[in-house]
Amino acid sequence: MIPLDARTREQLDEVRELGRTYMRPMGLESDRTGEPPPADHPFYLICSRRGGLVSRVVGEGEGDGPTWKPLRALLTAEESAYWDRGVALSLPGPGLGGAALRSLATPEQRERFLAPFADHSRAHWGAMAMTEPGAGSDVARIQTRAKQDGADWVLSGAKMFCSNGARADWVVVWATLDPALGRAGHRAFVVPRGTAGFELLKIEHKMGSRGYETASFALDGVRVPAANLLGGAAAYAGRAGFRGAMATFNLTRPLHAAQGIGMGRAAHDHALEFVRAHYPSHGARRRKALERLAEIRRGLATARLICLHAVWLARQNRDNVLESSYAKLFAPPVVFRAIAAALDVVGEAGVRSDAHLEKLYRDVKILDIGEGTQQVQRLVIARQLFGFPRGD
Amino acid sequence: MTQFALPPELEQLSHEATRFAAAELAPGARASERAGAWPPAVLAVVEKLGLRELDLPESLGGAGAGALAKVVLLEALAAGDAGGLPAADPAGTCVGALLACPDRALAERVARACLAGEARAALAVADAEPAGPTAVYWAPARPPLRFVFESRGDGLRLYQLERPLEPVRALAFQASGGGSASLEGARQLGEWRLSTQESVDVRGRARLWCAAVALGVAQAAFDATIAYATDRVVFGKPVAHHQGNAFELAVAAANLHGARLLARDAAASFDRGEPDAGFWATQAWLAAVDAGVAVTDLGVQLLGGHGFLVDHPAEKRFREVRMLALLAGGRDLADADLAARVLEVPDPLFAGAGATS
Repeated sequence: MIPLDARTREQLDEVRELGRTYMRPMGLESDRTGEPPPADHPFYLICSRRGGLVSRVVGEGEGDGPTWKPLRALLTAEESAYWDRGVALSLPGPGLGGAALRSLATPEQRERFLAPFADHSRAHWGAMAMTEPGAGSDVARIQTRAKQDGADWVLSGAKMFCSNGARADWVVVWATLDPALGRAGHRAFVVPRGTAGFELLKIEHKMGSRGYETASFALDGVRVPAANLLGGAAAYAGRAGFRGAMATFNLTRPLHAAQGIGMGRAAHDHALEFVRAHYPSHGARRRKALERLAEIRRGLATARLICLHAVWLARQNRDNVLESSYAKLFAPPVVFRAIAAALDVVGEAGVRSDAHLEKLYRDVKILDIGEGTQQVQRLVIARQLFGFPRGD
Repeated sequence: MTQFALPPELEQLSHEATRFAAAELAPGARASERAGAWPPAVLAVVEKLGLRELDLPESLGGAGAGALAKVVLLEALAAGDAGGLPAADPAGTCVGALLACPDRALAERVARACLAGEARAALAVADAEPAGPTAVYWAPARPPLRFVFESRGDGLRLYQLERPLEPVRALAFQASGGGSASLEGARQLGEWRLSTQESVDVRGRARLWCAAVALGVAQAAFDATIAYATDRVVFGKPVAHHQGNAFELAVAAANLHGARLLARDAAASFDRGEPDAGFWATQAWLAAVDAGVAVTDLGVQLLGGHGFLVDHPAEKRFREVRMLALLAGGRDLADADLAARVLEVPDPLFAGAGATS
């Protein structure tokens, strides 16, 4: 496949060590308690003190262009999700909000909102709030309103599925000037934590992936200065506002898919250990299990190549909308089947929670939903390949 | 991270072959099928493109351009017409056997006969157990089948055939003609024991040949399906713009894309001399024929009744990919090879990561 340079290997070793020592146990603990690790967990401080590691794990960069290392980001996303995808998502850093900032922010805004992440004395998080109770896949339907009031903007509405939202220093909130304007009416605002009216409603309880917090907010007359309009007013000429949001997801779709590959690998390795321990010699069940392992390997290897290819295109500044969607369409169902196949290898023993596989089966389902469901990816691909009409 | 970009000479080869396939192969595909052969002028161009010699090493008289070059060329030609490809490539599925054969003089003799177009070699993949008789169920009719490598478990044998093939009609590839032969009474030229890895390489190269052809046929089927389904209107809009159809096409495109990446990666793996190339080539063949069977099925389905008629190439592609999914020992023996190797093959990127908890 790809010969990895020494630095990448070192970084993967670092993630592996942290994964084994912290992320896997923390993920299992969160799964038991139903609560994400607390924001003051020592692991987050360790991550922050190690500086860039965290940003690499969640696919962030310190800025633009050459400092953004997509390949390393992809592989570290895979490796960290191998240990625990939920905890990997909870790592400090600007998160999806950072991706939005990179797409849209002015230099002044980057300095103001991203510079604090260089302070490693404590953990910092950023977040993004797009999804609403009534607008998920169809982000054009968001209803949270933005109204100009003098030099300020006032935001009102509700947001949900905001990852790390409750512990974030700021949240990039998407709102609309007027729902009748469709995508042209969208604006993004950076809302600092503690802003009056920006109220945490709850941390959701989920079937799996419990290692990070999924927050719901109410926005009740939240007032932010015009300087917090992401990119400034000029950035929203035409359809730029919506395109900014979509560019965010172009960067992150292959990373999301790569997390799935890590989870699939974890399931594969569990099944492999089981085969070695329980079917050490010939037999029909061993043979069937080996064929299942081979099929898992095929799906994961293909998914990884699709992800790498999408990132390779981006690195060459080539359009990768189609290939990013291939990655996000292909990987989650393949990983889901991989985990199911690993469970079938283990058989009845797989129902036990201490076997970890049943957790992976619960954890993985959200991959096919977040950052564009497989249905949305099919729409994107159909538009790209044969002009499938919008609004259909 | 450059393996996704083809080297310039392969880009050029792919470009030339694609242009030739569209201009010369595709328009004559049905006529070739009826005639049971590609026209001599077509065969001359295909030979000039290097089909016979590309992936044979220079030590055997080949061009030594490697497996990736061969995959790229096969994909491009098969997109025009795959029908005559098996006949045009007399050592096509035997390159792995020729490379592995410990008797180098014998291998060179077979390779040179194939390169000269005087003889053909076939790979017969047989069940390791129970050890039943081996037959060549189908081989192209031309040039005459003289040599058969039998790959059975970790055993490799080479037979020389004296009798002509018994003509058979096959599911597809009529433009290559076809016949079958039993190895009973054939003269055995050699018998060797290989490692499991070497044996899977022998079969993996044959599977990669089939995968490349399947990918070319499937891409052509996909493109033709899109062309038809965006033009033909049903219930007020193009066939492809009904969401049920659009969704299936999107999935087919993603699977085809993934299978192509896997096949090219396996080919590059052979060219780098990596120990698990045969394992990945076998994986790639399964991915390619799975994606290809789905795409060509969709190709018939979305054309409706037209797809079932021989007036349209959809039914030909449907048959071709299905046949490619049966060659080189078929699916069950591929699964057996993967099962035999899977515990030893490390993850290419995360080798040694191991330890799950």
